[in-house]
Amino acid sequence: MDYELSPAEAAWRDEVRGFIRRNVDPGLASETRLKGNEGRGPLALRFHRALRDAGWWGIAWPKEYGGLGKSAVEQWIFIDEIESAGAPMLPLTVTSVAPTIMRVGDEQQKREWLPRINEGGIDFALGYSEPEAGTDMASIRTHAVLDGDEWVVNGQKMWNTMAHSATHNWLAVRTEPDAPRHKGLSMMIVPMDAPGVTVQPIWVWPGLRTNALFLDNVRVPRSNLIGDRGAGFYYAAMALNFERLAIGSVGMGRRMFRNLVRLVRERVVDGRPLKDEPWVRERIARLAADLEAGRMLGLETAWAIDQGRMPAAESSMAKVFVSELVQRIADAGCEILGLDGQLHPEEPTALVEGRMQWLYRLAPMLAFGGGTNEVQRDIIGFLGYGLPRK
Amino acid sequence: MRPEPTGEQRELQEAVRGLLSREVDPDRLLRWENEPAACDPVLARTVAELGWIGLGLPTASGGGGADLSDVACLVEECARGLLPRPLLGAIRSADALATLDPADPLLPDLASGRGRLALALDEPGGRDPRGWKTALSGPRGARVVDGEKAYVPDAEGSDVHLVAARDGGSTAFALVDRRTPGVSVQALRGFGGDRQGHVGYRAAAVLREIAATDEALARVQRRQAALALAEMTGGMAAVLEMTVEYVKMREQFGQKIAVFQAVRHQVADMGTTFTAARHLAWQTITRIAAGAPRDVEEASAIAWVGQAFKRVCWTAHHLHGGAGFVVEHRLRFHGERAQSLCIRWAPEAPALREIAAALLD
Repeated sequence: MDYELSPAEAAWRDEVRGFIRRNVDPGLASETRLKGNEGRGPLALRFHRALRDAGWWGIAWPKEYGGLGKSAVEQWIFIDEIESAGAPMLPLTVTSVAPTIMRVGDEQQKREWLPRINEGGIDFALGYSEPEAGTDMASIRTHAVLDGDEWVVNGQKMWNTMAHSATHNWLAVRTEPDAPRHKGLSMMIVPMDAPGVTVQPIWVWPGLRTNALFLDNVRVPRSNLIGDRGAGFYYAAMALNFERLAIGSVGMGRRMFRNLVRLVRERVVDGRPLKDEPWVRERIARLAADLEAGRMLGLETAWAIDQGRMPAAESSMAKVFVSELVQRIADAGCEILGLDGQLHPEEPTALVEGRMQWLYRLAPMLAFGGGTNEVQRDIIGFLGYGLPRK
Repeated sequence: MRPEPTGEQRELQEAVRGLLSREVDPDRLLRWENEPAACDPVLARTVAELGWIGLGLPTASGGGGADLSDVACLVEECARGLLPRPLLGAIRSADALATLDPADPLLPDLASGRGRLALALDEPGGRDPRGWKTALSGPRGARVVDGEKAYVPDAEGSDVHLVAARDGGSTAFALVDRRTPGVSVQALRGFGGDRQGHVGYRAAAVLREIAATDEALARVQRRQAALALAEMTGGMAAVLEMTVEYVKMREQFGQKIAVFQAVRHQVADMGTTFTAARHLAWQTITRIAAGAPRDVEEASAIAWVGQAFKRVCWTAHHLHGGAGFVVEHRLRFHGERAQSLCIRWAPEAPALREIAAALLD
């Protein structure tokens, strides 16, 4: 048994921290906070350029695809540190879609897409959900029909976050209408500037923008269907597994918690230091222990990937635990703030920059997004403990 | 990082699992509850002969020379297989004595099972060593101990007590023969079926005293807590495993109850809780084994793992329903151990206080 980072991993963590010290300043953190996901501001773009210049865009990509070839543990360390610093994350294009293309795309597709992603020229929105296909992704109705050398795509996607700034959509579409529903889907890359693509904004609770996407006879080159026809459900599941590795990181929770602890240490309420309130101390201590538990779950998942396993149950455990922990952090944070905890997050006087109130609004999404926690618990039961489906 | 046992540790655990699956069953556990020794002398001898009690003791004292992580692996598996508590206690108390004095002449007897040692720490007045009143006195060569110790595991069944005491302004430990005049034991039965006792020492002659420091006492307590964490993760593993088996086998409404999402999700939460608890526990165990100073992560493990074990047991009871509620079922033995281990070695409130102090003061 050994739970300490290896000397190489610790050196990598220090390198990442050094990079963050040089490239993240309060201006960037503030811009990231204010912009939400409304496109990236100039400082975020500069930060991402610095990441690419350092060769850190494809951290865990194999070297043959222009990546750094770092291990999953090293990628986890990177994500954790970046989130903890409040810097803009690596886009899911890099951490979820590209690793899936590497595994399932043919050689020509890898040559076409991976270098452009690595250069920062491609940014995907993820097109899985539809009005009638949320958790039940196999019910997708958006369909594509082959017409000569082109697919003709029709349908509607929901929660197509970043569609308004993305260059392409990573789209799940039905291409095999006669196959069983799980085997009738394919993954397709759709350029956002293709005629027939329309984006409509949807504003959600924490003040973030997502979108509805409409596809009206959109023509897409035949070669944009990634991997095998009919295997899209499984490719999407693979991409979601990669996505969950990031959701299962406690980096953001650690940052929010650190801010909360700083506030508790400094604040005086009714003439008494807030830190002397027994209930505040207890909630802070419980959250600290929970964060450590969450950290262990995420780290173990990354370690298992490095052992050549596909730790679906473990990544689901981390996702469920951390998403529900973030809800507890947000709730405790708002309560500890007292009356300030019910202020609008954008109110200029809101303590901790309104982050607790913002997190309270964001937290539900972490539990239902990226695969609802009910589905994650099913995965843990099926794949972790061999429970029967029928 | 390598969050799983080494090959050797796995072999050790498999050997333990093999023996305990043959030697420990609910009927015997029930019988031992009513026997004074709370275990079978033949099993006790076997365990000693296999070198389990002495695994972590120095080789010069007849031990295996293994480190705390190896001993914790052993203890984890012993707890999983419900090794009787006096025998788990024998492993713990041997570790305590060897931590204080790796060359103590009693160690070979403990390793071979010829001697049993009770660890007498807590007092009726409380658990904080600063408030302990038991004291050593008398001239060199005729030292005696006076005081009271409370809830001493295996107080009556052991041959020698290792008594934490004050010696003037400093901490000391005294080895006292249980049968020596002045030692009186009021036997108690723990709700885990284990034997404990309140012990009075009235000018009880000291066999040997071990000069110690507050740091040495803290080291003993940390190692005991580490072994308790291992016991708890072992127990949790067993409870999770039996629950998974049960929900896959039990049928209601014409199907396995595991098919019901309400059941499946409770099993999933047990699994997540166990997985997190096991890593928290083992991070702390390996750090203590490496001699690292106490940190917030250690307090987090103490605060978290005991509560996790109890939650896992409650959920297991719920999912087993009446089947797990009968006295013959293994589940209730784990549930009892969960609470008593938690109270003795992993109480949540002091650990939370420690975390809060580290972060806020």
